[in-house]
Order: sequence, then C-alpha cells, then structure tokens
Amino acid sequence: MKIDTLFIDKAIPENFEIKYIISRLGADPQWVENTKTVYDHINDADDPILKAKKTLYITKNKGAVIKACPGTSFYTCCDYTILHTGTFCTMDCSYCILQAYFHPPVLQYFAGLTTLGNTLENTFSQNKIFRIGTGEYTDSLIWEKISLQPKFLVETFAKQNNSLLELKTKTINIESLLPLDHNEKTVIAWSLNTPDIIGSEEKGTASLKARLEAASRVESKGYKLAFHFDPMVIYPECEIQYKRVVQQIFQHVRPESIVWISIGTFRFMPKLKQIIETRFKHSTIPYGEFILGLDNKMRYFKPLRIKIYQEIISCIKEYAPNLMVYFCMEDEEVWEKCMGFFPEKEGELGHLLDKSAVKHCSLNSNLL
Amino acid sequence: MSDCLCKININDIDLTDERYKISFSNTNIDFLARSLRETGLIYPPIVRPLNNKFIIISGFNRIRAHIHNNRVHNNGIKILVYKTEPDATDYQCLLKSISSLAFQRSLTLAELILCTKRLHEFLDKQQIAQKSPAIFNTELAEGFVRDLLFIGDLPDPGLQLIHTGNLSFKSAKRISLLGKETIKVFLDIFSKIHASQNKQLEIILYIMEISARDAIKPKAVYMNQEIQDILSDEKKDPGLKTRDLRACLFEQRFPIVFKAHQRVMEKITSIKLGNNIKILPPKNLDSQDYSISFTAKNYNQFQAKVQSLHKSLENKKLKELFTP
Repeated sequence: MKIDTLFIDKAIPENFEIKYIISRLGADPQWVENTKTVYDHINDADDPILKAKKTLYITKNKGAVIKACPGTSFYTCCDYTILHTGTFCTMDCSYCILQAYFHPPVLQYFAGLTTLGNTLENTFSQNKIFRIGTGEYTDSLIWEKISLQPKFLVETFAKQNNSLLELKTKTINIESLLPLDHNEKTVIAWSLNTPDIIGSEEKGTASLKARLEAASRVESKGYKLAFHFDPMVIYPECEIQYKRVVQQIFQHVRPESIVWISIGTFRFMPKLKQIIETRFKHSTIPYGEFILGLDNKMRYFKPLRIKIYQEIISCIKEYAPNLMVYFCMEDEEVWEKCMGFFPEKEGELGHLLDKSAVKHCSLNSNLL
Repeated sequence: MSDCLCKININDIDLTDERYKISFSNTNIDFLARSLRETGLIYPPIVRPLNNKFIIISGFNRIRAHIHNNRVHNNGIKILVYKTEPDATDYQCLLKSISSLAFQRSLTLAELILCTKRLHEFLDKQQIAQKSPAIFNTELAEGFVRDLLFIGDLPDPGLQLIHTGNLSFKSAKRISLLGKETIKVFLDIFSKIHASQNKQLEIILYIMEISARDAIKPKAVYMNQEIQDILSDEKKDPGLKTRDLRACLFEQRFPIVFKAHQRVMEKITSIKLGNNIKILPPKNLDSQDYSISFTAKNYNQFQAKVQSLHKSLENKKLKELFTP
C-alpha cells in the first residue's frame, strides 16, 4: 500500500531522521498540532482501515517504549518484550488483529532515535536476557524502505550482549540491513503461511518464495532467523500445504541458523469477525469451527488445533530435531499432546527461549 | 383543517377501501360492540368523502362493531363521524389516521413500520424524525426511522411476522440487508417456527455462515432435506421445531464440535453417579475442567451425596472420562 498522506506532529523537530522519511516518501507533509486532524482524515473515509494504511503520522511515543507482551493467564506466554516503535501496517491481511485493536487504526512512526537508544541502554545494562521485538503492533520491516530506524536498531543491538532484537515481517525489505555489522544480535523473522492463505488473506505481502529467498540472503550475511506459523488457518488439506512450507524452509536455510519457530492457530477477538466480513468479502476464515476460549477470543476447537500442530511439529522435527519450537498462547493439554512436555512453571517457556537466544546469538550465558 | 361532526349512512362507507388502515388489530370485536351498546360511541370515527362515498381514516373496528350491533337492520343505519373537508389531502388524512391511534396507545412495532413506510411517500427520514413527536406521540431518532424504512421494504409476510412476534426487530433488520431470495428463505422459516430474538439471530447467523463457508446460496442450505423435514412437520409444536432446527444447524455449522460434544455427553450419561449428582463437561471442551454438582437440603443429604461420590471413585467409566 503506498502512503499518500503524511502528517507530522508539530512537536517533532525536523531533524535528519524526519527529513530522511520525507524525502523517501516524496510526500508533502502536513504539520499538525494534535491527532484530531489525523483521526478526522481517517474516520471520514468509507473504509477508515484502508485509509489508515495510506496515511502516515509521525509523532512521539507518548507511552512506554519498552513493555512486556500482553499475554493472558489462561494460556502459556513466552515472556517477550515489545519495543514500541510504531503502530499498524501498510499491508492488508484479513485476519490482522490490529484492525480491531486501535480506535481508529493509525499508521504511526514514533520518531526519536536518540530516545530509543537511551531507553535501550537502560535495558542493556540489566543483568537479564531480553528477547525484544518490534513486530507486535506493526510489521518490523515496512519501515525499512522509508526510515533509518531498522538500521539504527540493528547497529544499536550489535553493541551489547544481553538482548536479542527480533525483526518480524511479511515483507522482503532487507536491502539496507545486509551490509550491517549486526554482531549476531538481530534475528530476522518471517511470518509464514501457505501460498493459498498468502494469496487469499495476506494482501500486499511478499510471496512465500520471496520471503524464503530473502531469508536465505540474510542468512548468507550471518543473520540468525526465526519463523512464525501464526496464524495457521485450518482448511481442507491444509496439513499437506503447511508441511510443504516447512519443507521449503529447509530447502532455503540451514536449521542451525533458526533460533526458533513459533506456531499458533488463528484466534481473534469476536469483533474482528465483522471487520473481516465487511472488508474481505471473499474470505471464509471466520467460518471455521471456532469456540470462545478462556481468554474471550475465538479459537479453533481444541482437537482441530492439536491435530494440525502435531502434523507440523513432527514435520519440523524431521528436518531439525533440536530446533526450538514453541506455541504462542496454548494450554497444558496442547503442549503435552503435541510437544510431549509442558513448561508449567512461570517463566519456564521464556527461559527455554532465552537459552536458544543465548546459543544462537552469542548473548551472555551467565545471565541465564 | 377542521373536521365536521355529522351523521352518515353506513351504506355510504366504502368498507373495502383500507388505504388508511394502520392497525394490525383485527381481533374479535365483541367487547367493542358491547361497549358501544352500553356506553355509546365515545370517539367518533374519521372518514373522508371521496367519489360520492366515504372512506375510513380512523375507526375501522368501531364501524365494524356498529354494523355488528345493527346487523338486523338492512338499511338506514347511521353513525356519528368526523368528516374531513372534501379538499383534505392524502397526507393530511394519513396524519390523522396515525395520530388518532398513536395518541390513544403506543403503536406496535409493526404499526410503526407500516406508518413510517406510508409517511415516507410524503416525507424523508429526517422530516419523519423531526415531526415524530407530533405524529407518533414519541420521538423517533433518524437512524431508527431509517431502520424502520429498511424493514418496511420486507416483502409479505414480513410485517405480519413482526406483528405476531415471530420476527424480532433485530432479526428483521438483519435480513432486510440480504438479497430477495434469501429474505424469502428466512421469512418462510420464521413463519414456521417460534423463536426468541437470540435464537432467530443464531439461525440467521448459522445459515449465512454455512452458506459462505460452503460457497452455496442460503436457499441451498434451507433446502437441505433434514431442515425441510423439520419445518414441514405440521404436527410438531413451533417451539420444538425451533429446538430441532437449531440443533440441525449447529451440527452443520460445527460438525466436529457437535460430534465431540455428543461423545462427551454420551460418556457422561453412561456414568450414572446417581443421587442426582451431575457432571458438566468443560466449557466448549477447551479447558480440561469438568464440574460436578449436586444440591443438599440438609446434612444427611449432603452426607449421602458425598458417599455416592466416594463410591464413584471406582467407576470405570468415570475414570475413562478423565483419561481421554
């Protein structure tokens, strides 16, 4: 999606960072006093979500720059840390929770690389392993083409040894990262799906082939990798298709380069359903066999989740028996039946992931 | 626009012209006839002179009751009415028709829809909302008027189903956005069952979702033999038909959940803990927590039930339930 309108918060200084974005976008910025003008611009559209994808607002992050991932107590969480560098996305995935999460959704870039650096310094000085990602509220690399932020982050993380940076994406925007000295502290992660789902539900994203080729290119530059099968969508013969994706991963990259693979089936806040039905009329993904989960999100009926998980995990293990595979937000029964164990203690899953991070990214093992 | 009070001959009223009839109450007029005999006519009907006859604007039932009371007389029955000016417009007559009823009692939803639809021939939705206190004796928001107009476009027997309570406002609003063929499907279903609003919405939801999932028309879902058998069973109570239809649709919409739930319920039923002790499956079979419940009026009952539970520890089927 091409950004056609650029708003900039008047409180932001027009420094090199901002000038770079303006020049890359080639758009005439509108400097605004507050968010009202931006909200009105978006809300006046017939499809505010689509409008928001074409409207960039550069502002300051007025909340926490670093925060813990908002897991729920009913399902096991991975204790991830979110680096809040922006919100929303230019791509248009039907299942994207961000459509329902923000009111209204606004594509925001949080300016201030110095502030970001200072906040990270504080994290880097702690005696603890951190797995930090920017891909929770936005796609990490949609910004690569227009801003210096991804490059800044890779270089900043390269100078320390207690934190891993995960840049999660569905794009192939890697060019500016290739020549960087990352010191193995950056993991570039791709959300993967079957070509069927990418074609029908992930509008504006790179193809599976392109994503895996990009993964291969960054691997050749020494970057570590991660893959996220999330959301997995259940449809006829999906098991075969997901196994083919697994097979293709290992045709493109070495298992040793992969820090982890996460898997999770499609789950959604009930209000997302109406958004999908309105904005993606061809989509049938809301019509699976969903039940209301304990966290009040719609989830596939548990036996269906277990079945697809078992298939894909056994397939991954065929190629890479020692690879760290984990679930995002699943319960004891699912872990036991699919992985054969359950990280029961609080922080146990996080610890397993930390260990993998230390091993792959040369982090300080004394902090484990 | 003052109407004149006068007596006219019943034979001069065109009883077949119901263009201003907005009330759905075609009920038994015996009580009204008795009231007219004992008390007399308190509120005279309103009529409009048209083509040497009179047509009724308000008071259809009063005129029917008056005829009923005087049925032995073939000719010359007179009735006291308000007669509009000969140049009264259609719009003025419609306003009189609606207001005379709305200021007697609250209009039913079906009447409100019908009146709004007729008014829309003269006013837009904003004007209807603005004038609503004077016409309807209540304020109607513009959005609500828009909804009424949408629903007013439903074909027959849409309004009748709303009047009888077979079709709720929300359900009517939901189906009014669908295609003609699909609307017909739902009107047919709701004319054969009697369901609460939530159940109606669930039925609409399931049919639409099955249709979207399987890429077939809602009519094809509706034509399913099992559904047709349920709906066409004239011996079955509409409430039972609703139950069966919901179960059938749930099975089609969630076949795997349905079968799994059925298996668990069969297991639970086979356990037979006795003493009115109930086992409930985990919610949506998503957690692993079964619930056991019983009630006790006194300590002795409590003790007896706990003992039953204790005995059940060796129940093989109970053990199986917890080791799937």
